[in-house]
Amino acid sequence: MEEILKSIVLGLSSGGIYALLAICYVVIYKSTRVFPFSQAAMLIIGAYVMWFCLIVWNLPVWLGFLITCGTGALMGMAIERVFMRPLVGQPILAPIVVTLCLMLLLRGVGILVGKGNIQGFGESFLPQGAWEVGFLHLPKIQVYGFFLCAALIAALMLFYDKTRIGLGMRVVHEDHVVAQNLGINVKRVFQYSWVISCMIAVVAGMLLGNIQGVGLALDANGLIAIAAVLFGGLESFAGAIIAGLAIGILQMLTISYIAPLLPGETTMMIPFVFLLVILFLKPYGLFGLVKIERL
Amino acid sequence: MSVNVDRPCGIFDRNYYQAKELFRTPLRKGLLALLIVAMYLFPFWTNEYGISILIVICAFTIGMLGLQIITGYCGLISIGHAAFMGVGMYTVGILQRHFGLSFWVCLPLAGLVPMVIGMMFGIPALRMKGLYLAFATLAAHFVIVYVISNWRSVTNGTDGMWMKRPGMLLGIDFQTDRNYYLLVLTITILMTYLATNLSRTKLGRAFVAVRDNDIAAEIMGINIAYTKIMAFGIGCFFAGIAGALGGAYYEYVNVEWFGLDDSIWFLGFLVVGGFGSIFGAIAGAAVWKIMDELSTLVTPLAEAFLGGMAFYASAAFSLIFYALIVIIFLVFEPRGIAHRWQIIKRSYRLHPFPY
Repeated sequence: MEEILKSIVLGLSSGGIYALLAICYVVIYKSTRVFPFSQAAMLIIGAYVMWFCLIVWNLPVWLGFLITCGTGALMGMAIERVFMRPLVGQPILAPIVVTLCLMLLLRGVGILVGKGNIQGFGESFLPQGAWEVGFLHLPKIQVYGFFLCAALIAALMLFYDKTRIGLGMRVVHEDHVVAQNLGINVKRVFQYSWVISCMIAVVAGMLLGNIQGVGLALDANGLIAIAAVLFGGLESFAGAIIAGLAIGILQMLTISYIAPLLPGETTMMIPFVFLLVILFLKPYGLFGLVKIERL
Repeated sequence: MSVNVDRPCGIFDRNYYQAKELFRTPLRKGLLALLIVAMYLFPFWTNEYGISILIVICAFTIGMLGLQIITGYCGLISIGHAAFMGVGMYTVGILQRHFGLSFWVCLPLAGLVPMVIGMMFGIPALRMKGLYLAFATLAAHFVIVYVISNWRSVTNGTDGMWMKRPGMLLGIDFQTDRNYYLLVLTITILMTYLATNLSRTKLGRAFVAVRDNDIAAEIMGINIAYTKIMAFGIGCFFAGIAGALGGAYYEYVNVEWFGLDDSIWFLGFLVVGGFGSIFGAIAGAAVWKIMDELSTLVTPLAEAFLGGMAFYASAAFSLIFYALIVIIFLVFEPRGIAHRWQIIKRSYRLHPFPY
């Protein structure tokens, strides 16, 4: 019982990042109907940029944060404008292949930037150490990271809910043609979505780099978050949050119960088995829109 | 792929035999025969290096044909094709290591085992399509790679395992590269012929119908479940054969040879070659492997300029370079080299008139 509780609490705290990552997929998918596989590699970029700011250039944390976010925003803008804009209206396969190739391209950029080494933030920019609450051992990085993720998600929701641009984006989520007729610049909304999503991805990347070390292996987290997106449903923010936390818990339960039984990287594999199970049982996820097609 | 559209002027079918022919004009037949003869004679004037490139191109052509059947004909997006190729490689490796079977027995099994596994992972295709199927195959990729790298007692884990090339058959010794190339070429021609014919059978036409509109296809009486699963099965069969031939050439398999990158490049270079045509699959495989060779040729250059970081730089450059090529093709020529080739052929045929 104690073990289960421990796994759940730890899973919740690490699930925050999966929720954030799932959101960054959903932001783009909802508005552009393109699934951005490339965001997985965006994590690597974010982590390396933050590492350069803090360790190589010795900048203060807030400046590093701003520079990283700015890089993410610029890259998002560039990706949308250069690679995704020409593919609007193409059959589904084209954007899938392009985002997958972008993932590898960004990975290549990551190799070029980081020379393939795994770096650490040394003195982490989030407080280190851990809290001992009863039998729980809570690393501070995880908890602060969780709250940072929660704050970011809340800010994003507020942005969608309260601002005029957010309102326009919600219209685009519903229907591109309707939005266009209402005078909303759909292309600009696509661009905003990529910018927001890439900013979220680089922030998640720097958090993950803080926890796992800055290296090329970070994109595995992005791929695992795909399982979360699918579990929650591709079109649902609430689903993404719930499913992200669920995947976090699943991973911790895997570590305590399944990892002793099976060799190798079970934490990498179990989310994908979970993904397959979801696809078999409930392909559109918890809150996804069930598409009914007709001729 | 229907051949009727790009037939030269004045060639008509006068009987059913002519209508059923794969290659219609004497010129095409002659050129094809010439090409095949040239391919067979090629190893006699090239060196080991040339042969090795050709063997790899042939093996990847078979794999690419499999993906062409799954993705190009049936429209099911597969991001796990390299993993199925790996299953084929490991099937041969395991059967040789644990049961001591000869290569000739292993080869068909190397096709059938990935076929069954591919059909299993194709089951989600019954309920979904497009993006969701991409997720399912992505998951399949990770599960397969996990099983191969961790089932140590059978697959020897991440250390890889040794394989044996086929021994003597009909007095030909396949241990030498040249003879092995002839074997691979023969199988490649056979598989290409199979794939070409497949697109003209009932099943092949059902694939295309499902790709174009699966609901309409269902209304027309096509069993969608059967068609999709068969597409996965046949495609993975091709992948398995390709893996077996490629693995046996190196006489070694390793799980690192079929990473997620390779699955993505399979899809990407299929786009470069061209969707929905046999020629596209061959062109895609050839372009991919030729680029591979070019990037290894560039590595010493990079070493001269960059010194110690050359290894990472060349890995990074090949990733960036390939990705850019695929993306540029998707943006400017989404129908690939095959389409470009059709345009060239048509303009040649219609010369001096523009249409």
